[in-house]
Amino acid sequence: MKAEDMTPVAKGGKLPGAGWTIPPNFVRAVLKGHSSLGLAFAAAIYIVCLTGTIAVFARELQRWENPAAPRLARVSPEAVQRAYSTAALRAGPGLEHVYITLPAPDLPRLMVTTDARGGERDWIADGEGQLIESRSIWTEFLTRLHINLHLPRTWGVFLVGMTGVALLSSLISGLLAHPRIFRDAFHLRIGGSRRLQEADLHNRIGVWALPFHLTVSLTGAFLGLTTLIVGVLGLAVFQGDVGKVYALFQPPRPAQDERRAPPIDLRPMFAEVAARNPQGRIDYVFLEHPTEMGGAALFNVTDGSTRLSQTDAYAFDRSARLYHAKRARENNLGERVLASLGTLHFGWFGGGAIKIGYGLLGLGLSYLAAGGVSIWLARRRDKGRPTSGWERIWTAVVWGQPLALAASAAATLVVPAPVIALVVWGVISLAALSCAAWLPSSQIGRMSRTGTAALLILTAILHITLRGGRDPAAWTVDGVLFALGVLMLSSLRRRRKSNPAPIQVVPD
Amino acid sequence: MNALAAPLLLAGGAAGAWLLRRAWSLRIGAAPYRWGGWAVLLATLIAASSTVGTMRGAFVALTLIAVAALAVVAAGLQIRAVRASRNGRDCLAPEPLDRPSTTWRGVLRWLLAGPIGMIAAMAVGICYAVWMPGEAQTRLVTGGLIVPVAWGGAMAWTLADNRILRATAVLVGTAVLGFAAAALKGFA
Repeated sequence: MKAEDMTPVAKGGKLPGAGWTIPPNFVRAVLKGHSSLGLAFAAAIYIVCLTGTIAVFARELQRWENPAAPRLARVSPEAVQRAYSTAALRAGPGLEHVYITLPAPDLPRLMVTTDARGGERDWIADGEGQLIESRSIWTEFLTRLHINLHLPRTWGVFLVGMTGVALLSSLISGLLAHPRIFRDAFHLRIGGSRRLQEADLHNRIGVWALPFHLTVSLTGAFLGLTTLIVGVLGLAVFQGDVGKVYALFQPPRPAQDERRAPPIDLRPMFAEVAARNPQGRIDYVFLEHPTEMGGAALFNVTDGSTRLSQTDAYAFDRSARLYHAKRARENNLGERVLASLGTLHFGWFGGGAIKIGYGLLGLGLSYLAAGGVSIWLARRRDKGRPTSGWERIWTAVVWGQPLALAASAAATLVVPAPVIALVVWGVISLAALSCAAWLPSSQIGRMSRTGTAALLILTAILHITLRGGRDPAAWTVDGVLFALGVLMLSSLRRRRKSNPAPIQVVPD
Repeated sequence: MNALAAPLLLAGGAAGAWLLRRAWSLRIGAAPYRWGGWAVLLATLIAASSTVGTMRGAFVALTLIAVAALAVVAAGLQIRAVRASRNGRDCLAPEPLDRPSTTWRGVLRWLLAGPIGMIAAMAVGICYAVWMPGEAQTRLVTGGLIVPVAWGGAMAWTLADNRILRATAVLVGTAVLGFAAAALKGFA
């Protein structure tokens, strides 16, 4: 191999446009840190990135899970009132909050969620405000897995936030450990040595999609660590009063009055918002204590501008008195940045093209996590110190997750219960890991990929059979699942044909 | 974003990346392609910002340029024959430093990368929020954004630095000074 074929160089590297080289020991030391950090957090980063990639399409998945639900372009205040009042009645005692999602172009649904003593319940309503039960079980399972790994919320969110920091740190050290970043910018060599192939893929995806990686890791870390950051900020600068930090960003809360009352009448509030913002689109209403005298309603209105943060906020008390109005265009820089973080993290700022872009780049980011460990394993093998145990475990993690996610999706179609999604995912993940005890990694990978492909195809067929597909989004999701399954199967067949000889497994 | 914007931005990203790739493959006469490539990418970014919205357009362009550039990289894929590992010859690539480590150094290193790094990063963020001028919300959000960046930087540094006592001193010093400075001023 010629010297210029090497992905990085042993003797450090010249910075573009600079007359000095990066000392080789610095590169090696940073590489050591990069490697340690990647190995420590690889599984968490991989799961968070993989689930996040799928969660970009959460709205399409919600539609896929409820294909027969009525599609609405717009809805009348009367229908919203009827839907939420009925939901409030059905929610039972101890109603704390109601969340109403109004129709939007990518989610043409009127959706109501009640949060009462008995837990949360989801509903979808038709144009008249008549309720049907919503069944977004797998979407909810997936997003919870991404947000808090189904751990207790505070700890889970913190752990995911810390994973974002580790990813951010890996990006920083990865850049510093790659002195030939521009010189290697277009190298993509597949099929040669395993290590070179993995390094090429790892580095090209890492460098060319760097703005995306930085955006999602920084926003994800911030969103995950918000509770901690706000807690420490409150402790340090507001003498422990965390509420003062939130008060800077949120509308004031109404005075507490727990006397029972009929559901808040939203209709005059709709009229007031429409009068104040005729160009806007109300896309979300949050009700606090709607069946108490101290109840209040917060309206989020998309102002139709091209800004990233474009949500106006109007808060009313029970008597429809507007006590807080905040227009997005009047926000200061900090408020604008804060309002943009979620939009940027979830890829909600450019329609379908950006969602597809986020999906592709998210897959690349998942590959970065998986490929980093593969490089370490290949390096160990090349140096005559293979760790076949870790190779098996890592293969089980990387290919076991798509299998477990596909299995949980198929299972919830047959038995639509939240616990089924979690149990199936957990059992398949553990089964894949336990296979690592006695099967070679090549076989674990092949079995998992075959299983995933078959389950993707089965899920699409099951969905069409059991739920139908009146919604075009549901047809699209089914088509994508089917196509992905077929592609995976054909790539497995192609690989088998091109490499008929069994893969040599070096014993420990 | 209108339906035409995405294909045009993808085309801009692909054209810019292709020009850079052409420059990268030439030994002589690469400069016009290199400058041309960066100019096309910059023009794509500016076009997106001016049509889709300043910040929205910038992020739309950065996303689509990345997708297009990766497609250009994939188009130049070289397929090589599978070969066995090259053992000794692969050592020309940089190897992670093989440094001696003891248990206490390992524990201290991860403490620095984890909780101590986090506390130091918090101190920097809070210090920023307290001392910098501007609106309270802007100072708090910027300070909050500094925390993951500073923590990530501290993590990268402490896991790489061989002189672990130096890292300890800097991070502990940063935490103490940061919180002390914040307490001194308070929030106004």
